[in-house]
Amino acid sequence: MAYILQQLLQKSAARYPEKLAVWARGRSITYRELEQRSNQLAHLLRERGVRKGDRVGIYFPKCVESVVAMLGVVKAGGVYVPLDPQAPAERIGYIIGNCGIRVLITREDKRRGLDNAVIETLACTVLIDDAPKSSNGGGVIPWSMLGEYPEAQAPAVVLTETDLAYILYTSGSTGRPKGVMLTHQNALTFVEWCADVFKITSEDRLSNHAPLHFDLSVFDVYNAIDAGASLYMITEDLALFPAKLASFIETQGITVWYSVPSALTLLLLHANLNAEKLSRLRIILFAGEVFPMKYLQQLAHLLPQVDLFNLYGPTETNVCTYYKVERERLASMDKLPIGIACENTEVFAVNDLNEIVTQAGGTGELYVRGPSVTYGYWADAEKTKKMVLPNTFQPNFEEKMYRTGDLVELAEDGNYYFLGRRDSMIKSRGYRIELGEIESALLNHASVKEAVAIAIPDDIVGSRIRAVVAFHDGITVTAPELQQYCGTRIPKYMIPESIEFREQLPKTSTGKVDRVQLTQESLRSAATLVAP
Amino acid sequence: MSATDQTPATQSALKDQIREFIQVQLAEPKGVTSFTDDDPLMENGVIDSLGIFRLVSFLEEELRVRVSDDEINAETLKSVNTIEELVIRKRK
Repeated sequence: MAYILQQLLQKSAARYPEKLAVWARGRSITYRELEQRSNQLAHLLRERGVRKGDRVGIYFPKCVESVVAMLGVVKAGGVYVPLDPQAPAERIGYIIGNCGIRVLITREDKRRGLDNAVIETLACTVLIDDAPKSSNGGGVIPWSMLGEYPEAQAPAVVLTETDLAYILYTSGSTGRPKGVMLTHQNALTFVEWCADVFKITSEDRLSNHAPLHFDLSVFDVYNAIDAGASLYMITEDLALFPAKLASFIETQGITVWYSVPSALTLLLLHANLNAEKLSRLRIILFAGEVFPMKYLQQLAHLLPQVDLFNLYGPTETNVCTYYKVERERLASMDKLPIGIACENTEVFAVNDLNEIVTQAGGTGELYVRGPSVTYGYWADAEKTKKMVLPNTFQPNFEEKMYRTGDLVELAEDGNYYFLGRRDSMIKSRGYRIELGEIESALLNHASVKEAVAIAIPDDIVGSRIRAVVAFHDGITVTAPELQQYCGTRIPKYMIPESIEFREQLPKTSTGKVDRVQLTQESLRSAATLVAP
Repeated sequence: MSATDQTPATQSALKDQIREFIQVQLAEPKGVTSFTDDDPLMENGVIDSLGIFRLVSFLEEELRVRVSDDEINAETLKSVNTIEELVIRKRK
């Protein structure tokens, strides 16, 4: 049994050396090549000083080199940090500084987009696109250098399953993203459970729709590698176009699909899906947000041969519960359960009296324990202490449990149902967004005095974001100017779509901004607008 | 060069209409205030998955051209210029 991620590749490269491992943008590599290239990268990284636990950034639009980079870093004993290639450079610079990335694997145009002050903190930059010779000084290494390192074996590094494998940054309520630390064991607990339940074989073809900084991609990449299956990475030229995407699924013979529900909804609404065209597709997994029931019912009807699963779990636990869609019940259901705990994982709801909910109909906050749970957030002991707690429900030994912040109901049928959040985290297109991070970006603008971000529920993307802003006396800025300012600090999917200006924001009796009133007003005005 | 600093003589009314829609409805809400007629709009994050369908609705409802599912692709909707070409081609 594998205990570190690279063993999955070692096994498949030995068994299926000539099989296609990864396809992206019309290029592909075999298992033998993936094993050899990642060995070479690991040797290069070691030579450049990467040691166990060192963070290495991966910063370029996804392509076959993305997977080489992920495996190369863990083979060197390092911890990879996938950085969103579409996020503003300022945010990437923050993350590089926050987790102390000194080695970055990137592309020349992305490197050039970073602040000089950030570039100066890097000891070494590996470029996947072989930059011109003139810029090869100063620790910049072209990809072609990999050829000079041993390919047969990875460097000897002592690792255990409790070592970190990667850090995934998600939105943070205090205005800055936070890095969720994940170990090899965290990942493998999930990967092994998936392999068992979804019976992935070397004949399967898995899509990779989610970006690599998003934990959905852990399944795509590592379950494909584990089984010796082929991974087909869906890049933005395909992801945005449902009709093209559907024909891609058909022509590449994708058998297993995993994405956020909104991607499936767009396929459903704009791609004339039918079972005949997607005859090889056998499993659809979705996670990240609530799938609107009417679209799920349509999807199930259109693809009668496909098994559908709702997976649930924050990045901190990867997936912790699942529900296999019961077709015979679907027509009469008005809400989809998040289901029951995955194997080797325990979940329970804790009510306001701090008791575990055992009766059907009981509600509480969902807690998770087991080997899939994160150690916590990089360099943020305070936040970690709030979310990863000592498990006080068993007195025998010390262990941790994670509080999700999600309110759930335990139903008659034994399934959990998601009810809502305890805090102001929302989901849009499956992305986790802390409204506080948006407000912090707005408040950082010199002319903004008060700002509140509000989520307006939306059938297709989950929620749309709106802001209400008040300026300091005598100053005004237009909405596009403020949106542009936000774009320098937060990713595009977090920027408020519309901004309303007021002289001052309504206050509660304690003098705080009245978020409830503003939210209700916004929901009312959104309801009166005719949907596009 | 920004979308606004071209001389009126070089602008066609159609291109203006397309550019204005993209600017106000798609680019500004994403924090992008300037782009050229050749800029790749998807690569720059101006058009996302929902933006595409708002753009297509605009082409169909305001500019009165019928766009088929197959025509919704990365080449035809790449930039202001390629979108204009699509509309001209469809109107012929």
